[in-house]
Amino acid sequence: MFRLKHFLEQSWLLIVSSFLFGLLIAVTNAALSPRIEQNRINKLNDRARALLPGVERFMPVEAEIVIKSGGRAERIDVYKAESKPGECVGWTFSASGPGFIDKIELVVAVDGNFEKLAGFDVLASSETARVGDQIKEPFFREQFVGAPVGDLIAVRSGDTSAKDEKIVTISGATITSEAVVEIISSSAKQIKKELQKKGLIGDGENR
Amino acid sequence: MAKTGKDKAGIYRQTLLDGLWRENPVFRLLLGMCPTLAVTAAVRPALTMGACVIFVLLCSNIVITLMRDLLKPHLRILMFTLTIATFVTIADLFLKAFQPEMSEKLGPYVPLIIVNCIIICRAEVCASKNAIAVSVIDALAMGVGFTVTLCVLAAVRELLGSGTILDARVMPRAFVPWAAMGMPVGAFLTLGLLLGMVNYLTGRKA
Amino acid sequence: MDTLQTLTVGFIAIVVVKNLVFTKFLGICPYLGVSGRIDMAFGMGLAVTFVITLSGTMTWLIDHLLLIGTPLEVTRYVCFILVVAGAVQLVEMYLRKFFPSLYESFGIFLPLITTNCAILGLCLFLNLWRVNSLLEAVVLSFGAGIGFTMAICVMAGIRENLKLADVPACLKGAPITLITAGILAMAFMGFSGMIR
Repeated sequence: MFRLKHFLEQSWLLIVSSFLFGLLIAVTNAALSPRIEQNRINKLNDRARALLPGVERFMPVEAEIVIKSGGRAERIDVYKAESKPGECVGWTFSASGPGFIDKIELVVAVDGNFEKLAGFDVLASSETARVGDQIKEPFFREQFVGAPVGDLIAVRSGDTSAKDEKIVTISGATITSEAVVEIISSSAKQIKKELQKKGLIGDGENR
Repeated sequence: MAKTGKDKAGIYRQTLLDGLWRENPVFRLLLGMCPTLAVTAAVRPALTMGACVIFVLLCSNIVITLMRDLLKPHLRILMFTLTIATFVTIADLFLKAFQPEMSEKLGPYVPLIIVNCIIICRAEVCASKNAIAVSVIDALAMGVGFTVTLCVLAAVRELLGSGTILDARVMPRAFVPWAAMGMPVGAFLTLGLLLGMVNYLTGRKA
Repeated sequence: MDTLQTLTVGFIAIVVVKNLVFTKFLGICPYLGVSGRIDMAFGMGLAVTFVITLSGTMTWLIDHLLLIGTPLEVTRYVCFILVVAGAVQLVEMYLRKFFPSLYESFGIFLPLITTNCAILGLCLFLNLWRVNSLLEAVVLSFGAGIGFTMAICVMAGIRENLKLADVPACLKGAPITLITAGILAMAFMGFSGMIR
């Protein structure tokens, strides 16, 4: 009994303030969390809207899509882009992988049949300014528009305007460019396979 | 901070000056180096970081000064950490809600304010010993001193690293940016040289 | 085989490529403070390695068993810092009781470790990198400690020799240490891109 009293005497302030602080955090969180969630969705959609013109809304795909990236399984949120209810004009998803400095997070858009890429945008990266950072520039990004879903190849030089699987890397930022190519081609390929397995898109033969 | 017959205004002025220059957290006490180096690649994140630190410092100083008579010595540090962690979480939530881009850029360095030595140092040295007015002035002075230093460092790095300040172009087109200034190397070198400069200037005066 | 490969790559990555001190600026305060003598630096490195492995593992467990997917996620920072502070206290008490000689040599460093940002930083990065196996979390935490030890020992070695150099008066002490760290960081940049 004495021990309990001693314990309470020593720590009542800690217990009371833990409770109060917890309450404070809970209130702030309750007030702000809808806004935070909205920010996250807006960000993905704003970027994706620029890549897929004519999209009215994005529907999250209910099925669980799991792909392997860097040797581990990762769950990916895939969105179906519709111009009007039931009319699919494309798909978007976010993909990430290791870059030169740290993780690169991309949002990738694909056309309705999941056959050609519609482009990508960078959600988050800490690549070196003016070097690896150039993956955000149009001249690099536009090479992906119209490129086939499948194995993309990074090449040092070539025609940047051709709509094929060859992507010309940024000089001085080969590793970052190759990382982007790898992230997009491997994730798009695997998501396509998963979506076909779930019957959400055709398997290409009966089309 | 001995109250040797000095009037209150004198103490306040002294606290203010201490925080801003004489005991400037970065240049003088060498405290809080991690965020100093990590977020100063550009001015905007540095300002955001400074604002967060001022907020956390102010709130934790106020709370701690109010409970200073109730503190048990051996649970002191635990209480400080708990208070600071709470306010950092709140600052982080606000940042996520109203400045989502900055929140992403600063990433884990916002929660790392918890272990920023400045805050716990002020709690220990000032807030747990002084009345509320002095603690508030101390928090503001220290916070502003920290923010200004951060911004000076960030301005140098942003100017040389990408030729801009607050994303507005300053340097002429012909200027070739030093990519290295945006990288860890630039952070260490700039801070080292700035510290050297401060030492040189103050050393000459004395 | 796959797991072993992931673990090795992750370990090397965190020791040299993504070294917390040189690329993430974590643990700079003790890095400047105790890198004066090589034996002290090594002691500090070992103490940090121990605490970082312990708290990295514990925070990973707490994060995955209690926090992820529940509304409690907002209290993550509070939980993490309490775990780190608790781990340091535990280690301190354990050492004092069972290994007094070791405690004597770690002595002053132990309380300092609580505010070492490398530890809380690593716990947060484990969450950010979405490390999702316990084994990987343990290996990465241990690697981070080794990386810190390496960085601080390299620095201490340089600083012991720096005493013989003729440094301008205003650069003595912290400034020259920071400049040296900058050059070291540049050297470590050579490793980036080594691991994909």
